[in-house]
Amino acid sequence: MILSGTFTFRGPRALVWQLLQDPEVLVKVMPGAQRLSRIADGRYQGVMKVGLGPVTAAEFALDVTLGDLAPPERFTMVIDSKGTLGFARGTANVALDEEGPDRTAMHYTSELQIGGRIASVGQRVVESAAKAMTARGLQALQQAIDDRLAPSAGSTSS
Amino acid sequence: MKPAPFEYFRPSTLDEALATMAAHAGEAKALAGGQSLVPAMNFRIAQPSVLVDLNGIPGLDGIESATGGLRIGALTRHRTLERSAEVREAAPLVADTMPLVAHVPIRTRGTLGGSLAHADPAAELPAVMLALDADIEVCSQSGQRTIPAGEFFTGLYATALAPDELITAVTIPRRNSAAWAVDEVARRHGDFALAGVASVVRLEITGAVAGARIALFGVHERAVLADAAAKAIVGQVPTAEAIEAAADTAASQDADPASDVHASSAFRRHLTRVLVRRVLTRAVARARGAE
Repeated sequence: MILSGTFTFRGPRALVWQLLQDPEVLVKVMPGAQRLSRIADGRYQGVMKVGLGPVTAAEFALDVTLGDLAPPERFTMVIDSKGTLGFARGTANVALDEEGPDRTAMHYTSELQIGGRIASVGQRVVESAAKAMTARGLQALQQAIDDRLAPSAGSTSS
Repeated sequence: MKPAPFEYFRPSTLDEALATMAAHAGEAKALAGGQSLVPAMNFRIAQPSVLVDLNGIPGLDGIESATGGLRIGALTRHRTLERSAEVREAAPLVADTMPLVAHVPIRTRGTLGGSLAHADPAAELPAVMLALDADIEVCSQSGQRTIPAGEFFTGLYATALAPDELITAVTIPRRNSAAWAVDEVARRHGDFALAGVASVVRLEITGAVAGARIALFGVHERAVLADAAAKAIVGQVPTAEAIEAAADTAASQDADPASDVHASSAFRRHLTRVLVRRVLTRAVARARGAE
């Protein structure tokens, strides 16, 4: 499965970069993330609980290794996740483009191999589900950026 | 395969069913025809700890004439809709759609409410309800509410139903002067559609399009109204060129298809264009009285 797209954040590139590297922020914005911790420089492990419609939420162990770090422009991720419903592994490339002092375009492409029961039973909708989860995660990250930029205004809405 | 263990309830009244749903909100799944839920449970991708079987509740099925339309009970089987003279007369789009829904054995068990609550992005009935502007009646212990189809389908297998709510009925407006058509492309008859379109079109006395509801399925994360395409054709005389333009708009702006092992996103867009063209052409011909 290839998943790619561009999402434009309202916020400076340095801040977007900083939040993207912060496990405490990521655990809040990634849909279903239960925990995420830095176990070494550029290496993260965590647990995601993913469910969808008729699919009962199931836990996936997540292992992400960052590479080719070129702050604040780009990095790659090697993703390895598995659970009782199946696995997903592959790589993702993320690039941040400074479009202005408060606009940052994030370009992402990922190539994931999906296997196990979720791939055989859910093949028809795996990509839609991944797209929907990505969109939710990016919107949540925008919310986190908004909160950082206006901490006092953010306290009432969150 | 066999399902994971679950607790089974078979309430004999709607109140009892709603109480059970509320007591186990988030854990309980309602069992109607079971044509999607039971396979998912047998594969163990769905593992509800509580199953509330609605089949013992009298009065949840049936088709009755109501003001302005048909009121169809949530537990009405697809096969009943398919064979109903009343549906054929008052809601021919539903009658024409039924043969596209899976296969006869599945239609014999599967229910209207079940299909809508499941909200499969490639299922026909959610799109048909959008095209018809149907109202979906839902109930919980705290009362009853009516959700327009346009607000019911919120995402991939996601609806506006709360975890303790059940669909009780669907009200479909009577056909009036509107014309309709539906079509889909599936790899084999009865498979989930790679792409499908259901539409209701009304013409002015002048021949221009007064209103068009064009619903797409299989080409988005949910059943979706092709609003941009409808906007492109409303007010126009539906010539072949105008229909082609609307079809192009539907494919490029309204559809947002994913790729899977059956078809690429680009192929699904192509099918959207072809099917919108066919469906609008057929509906317009009906509206002009050619059929």
